Amino acid sequence: MSRLTIGLSLLAAVLFGLSGLVGTAALPPGDAMAALIGQGDERVQAIVWELRLPRAVAAFAVGAALGLAGAALQGLLQNPLAEPGVLGVSAFSALGAVIAIFFGFAAVNSFAVPLAAILGAGVATLLLVFAAMRGAGSVTLLLIGIGISSFAGALMSLALNMAPNPYSLADLVNWMMGSVANRSWADILLGAPGWVIGAALVFLAGPGLRALSFGDETAASLGADPRRIRLLVIGGTSLLAGASVATAGTIGFVGIVAPHVIRPFVRHDPQRLLIPSALLAGIILMAADIAIRVLPFQQELKLGVAAALVGGPVFIWIAARLGRASS
Amino acid sequence: MISAEHLSVALNRQDVVRDVSFWLNDGEMVALVGPNGAGKSSVLKALAGVVPSAGEVRIGGAPAYRMPVRERAKRMAWLPQTRPVAWNLMVEDVIALGRFAEASAPFERMGATDQQAVCEALDKADAAHLLGRLASPAPVLLLDEPCAALDIAHQLSLMAALQAEAAGGRTLLVVLHDLELAARFCPRILVLQSGALVADGAPAMALAAETLEQVFGVQRSPDGRLERAVR
Repeated sequence: MSRLTIGLSLLAAVLFGLSGLVGTAALPPGDAMAALIGQGDERVQAIVWELRLPRAVAAFAVGAALGLAGAALQGLLQNPLAEPGVLGVSAFSALGAVIAIFFGFAAVNSFAVPLAAILGAGVATLLLVFAAMRGAGSVTLLLIGIGISSFAGALMSLALNMAPNPYSLADLVNWMMGSVANRSWADILLGAPGWVIGAALVFLAGPGLRALSFGDETAASLGADPRRIRLLVIGGTSLLAGASVATAGTIGFVGIVAPHVIRPFVRHDPQRLLIPSALLAGIILMAADIAIRVLPFQQELKLGVAAALVGGPVFIWIAARLGRASS
Repeated sequence: MISAEHLSVALNRQDVVRDVSFWLNDGEMVALVGPNGAGKSSVLKALAGVVPSAGEVRIGGAPAYRMPVRERAKRMAWLPQTRPVAWNLMVEDVIALGRFAEASAPFERMGATDQQAVCEALDKADAAHLLGRLASPAPVLLLDEPCAALDIAHQLSLMAALQAEAAGGRTLLVVLHDLELAARFCPRILVLQSGALVADGAPAMALAAETLEQVFGVQRSPDGRLERAVR
């Protein structure tokens, strides 16, 4: 394990602890600390263990999954702007989840939502990879991503219009803005299979992603199988993004910012990029979630909004720098 | 050992390689020459298995057709003519990737200090790609214009290094544009013209006056230099 990975893991651990101490209920830090290690008042323990920690774990898992998916997609498409949120993968995934909820599949089986979200993500990823294989460059891919995003948004409103439910509009906002508030351990368990299997698939593709830096033909001559790598990354990122969207709605930009920050520290290697990007993205979302809890707003800021407030400008900055480099 | 029998390649429904057959023995260093568009790169790509082709390619006596990619990569390394790298990979990682088929281990775990020395001597991004192929486990090397963009001193040291590889038992097929360089370092030369093999033999024979004029449109002047042929 590299020093970077160890450092990021430690930082994540510190933030987990901090998550237990910070929240809307004004608990004395000493009590919360005691509750963290299973001591003290039962009510305090319940707040820390059933409200704050699941939320922190959800934020970390969603962030890590999106960071990993972003790093993998960037490696596959050889484009530093690739990310589930930007490319419309998350939007399509949210569409899948919304369909599953409002047409009653979720009532039949609780895994229907994550499954539908993963399927939605898979459709969008396939579209993008198909376009990339036909030689679409950065700009075309991003335009296709914008198209996919808007289309998914429109389909989502359509689905909600047709759904016989008065709370639809509020729900739409929830899905589009993303949040980990009030998530329980059960919610996390629903997402877990997607995260675990998705991460495994992406790690299997890791060495291949490095070979793919030389392009398909050379990678094949080196003994990597471009088709296998593509399938692994499509499957893996669909699972990662789908499970994340099913848990927290769409959260953009973390998947792009984390790999971008990490890349110089791992010598621009798409394989070494994977784990630190996941850790950093998880840390970013966890930190953002802690910040949201302390910010003195009447209504809590949505996590997706907080991520976009910081991530949006960074994305524009990266895109502008890229444009300068290529012109 | 690598052989091609009745090798043909079609790109966009145009035949770019037509019925080419040859046999390279272990330890042979052979130059593949020909004018632009003669199909040199396509021959190499067909041997490397990265473009579809007709005919039979055998590596080390085994048919390359349907050989798993990793197995093929262990027997044969291909240096493409264009060498794009998507990210700002370090030279060490570019070199390490040459050993992908054997172990995808990073450079630092390869014990490759000697290569680093060569690397510093050449100091060129392209050299990293070449060193990667040299670091590969493959006994057969297919090199597409390894000398392009190298200055004369580096060209000479590179060709000498390749000669040493051949002396060590490796089989090398090297695409070259510089006929003088080919004649000087390669005991055997294959000449391609419009996708067909028109000469195969020692430099004096393969680059005979007639071939030079018909294939390349040049002739040797009385003082031994190559000049445009006047027809």
